[in-house]
Amino acid sequence: MEKGKISALQMAIMMYPTIVATAILGVPSITAKYAQNDLWLAPIFASFIGYVTVYIAYKLHKLYPKQSVIQFSEYIIGRFLGKILGFLYLFFYIQVTGEIIREYAEFIVDSFLVRTPISVIMASMAFLCAFIVYGGIEVIARAAQLFFPLFVFPILILIILVLPDFEFKNIFPILADGIWPPMKGAIVPGGWFTEFFMIIFLLPFIKDRKKGMKYGMITAFAVMMTLVVVNLVVLFVFGPATASKVYPLMNVARYISIAEFFEHFESVVMAIWIVGTFIKISVFYYVTALSTAQWLNLSDYRPIVWPIGILLVVFCFWSIPNTLEIERFNIGVFPLYGFIVQTIIPLLLVVMAVFRKRKSKETV
Amino acid sequence: MRWGVFVSTTIIVVLIILYEWPKMKQNPKKDKVAFFTLLLIGLVLSMFDLSHMAGPTTWLETLFKPFGEFMEK
Repeated sequence: MEKGKISALQMAIMMYPTIVATAILGVPSITAKYAQNDLWLAPIFASFIGYVTVYIAYKLHKLYPKQSVIQFSEYIIGRFLGKILGFLYLFFYIQVTGEIIREYAEFIVDSFLVRTPISVIMASMAFLCAFIVYGGIEVIARAAQLFFPLFVFPILILIILVLPDFEFKNIFPILADGIWPPMKGAIVPGGWFTEFFMIIFLLPFIKDRKKGMKYGMITAFAVMMTLVVVNLVVLFVFGPATASKVYPLMNVARYISIAEFFEHFESVVMAIWIVGTFIKISVFYYVTALSTAQWLNLSDYRPIVWPIGILLVVFCFWSIPNTLEIERFNIGVFPLYGFIVQTIIPLLLVVMAVFRKRKSKETV
Repeated sequence: MRWGVFVSTTIIVVLIILYEWPKMKQNPKKDKVAFFTLLLIGLVLSMFDLSHMAGPTTWLETLFKPFGEFMEK
């Protein structure tokens, strides 16, 4: 099926943009809606879901080292139920990938290419990602390695450039309404942290498998730190107005104006964001293609990469008439949906697998 | 039915078949069946006015309605 091998560090480098790319753009304002000026605390609470998910994924991986969730769920809960569960994962990843491509395209159309038909943007992204997915996991890992600095350093530079506009007093009062608002604000980023479950599809291809857990945890921590920093930056610049911006980091970039000529930094934000989403969509696309092939017991996932590309673009449109619908999905469905599919069900699988192994040991 | 979308999807599907077929001739029959079935599903779905049709997103929103209401408060 997949003969490529990656290192644990490469997995971390792939996973980081996979979570952060969309989380730094729209999520701060959603969090701000619930947590007001405590929005920077929300990712810290949310990251616990990330650590738990990484731990569960690693436990499952240790029980069935060579397989992904699609394959070993058939051993744990039986062939028939396992196939149903596999289909659930398949459907989940196809739909979520479609949603991500749509989100990406809406952002581009909204902010930059106002007159370009949205289907062109989606299809070109799907086309590009299809090539990299076709190349296999090693190609995705190398591309992620190549683009990782391009993704991280501009964010750091952006923060330094925007420093003069900081209003540090925006952070006060801390926890004015108790712990509840940032807890509720953590629900939506928590949905993003559940995506760490995708390492279950990558772990079987890792060379140094003992480090899998360590690097998963490091990635979750890095994502948390990035979100905290981004939320703080947005808060320092906008204060209570954060909730009213759709893409706050974008607006922060528009603020930069140094010596009258260093302006329009938002195009840089768009560029890094495209790089990040490119990695994100590739990883999701890869997981979708691989799990479809595993679910159907195909000999290779490559023949179905292109057909799945068409399905992904179809899912970009299906029952999503406008941007509002995506936001409603991201707030009102995805946090719980992702949590159930990517954290609760795997947790149940671990419990059942452990019991099953113990039972089979006793009988032998 | 929107002919423009359908025709362009058909062209893309034909291009995919032309591109992929020579490479997968050796593959087992199952791979080929999966390949064509997935293409067919995509093609059939492209015939509908998808963005105004009930679909996965609306189903899920109905399913998670209590949670959505909780988040809206």
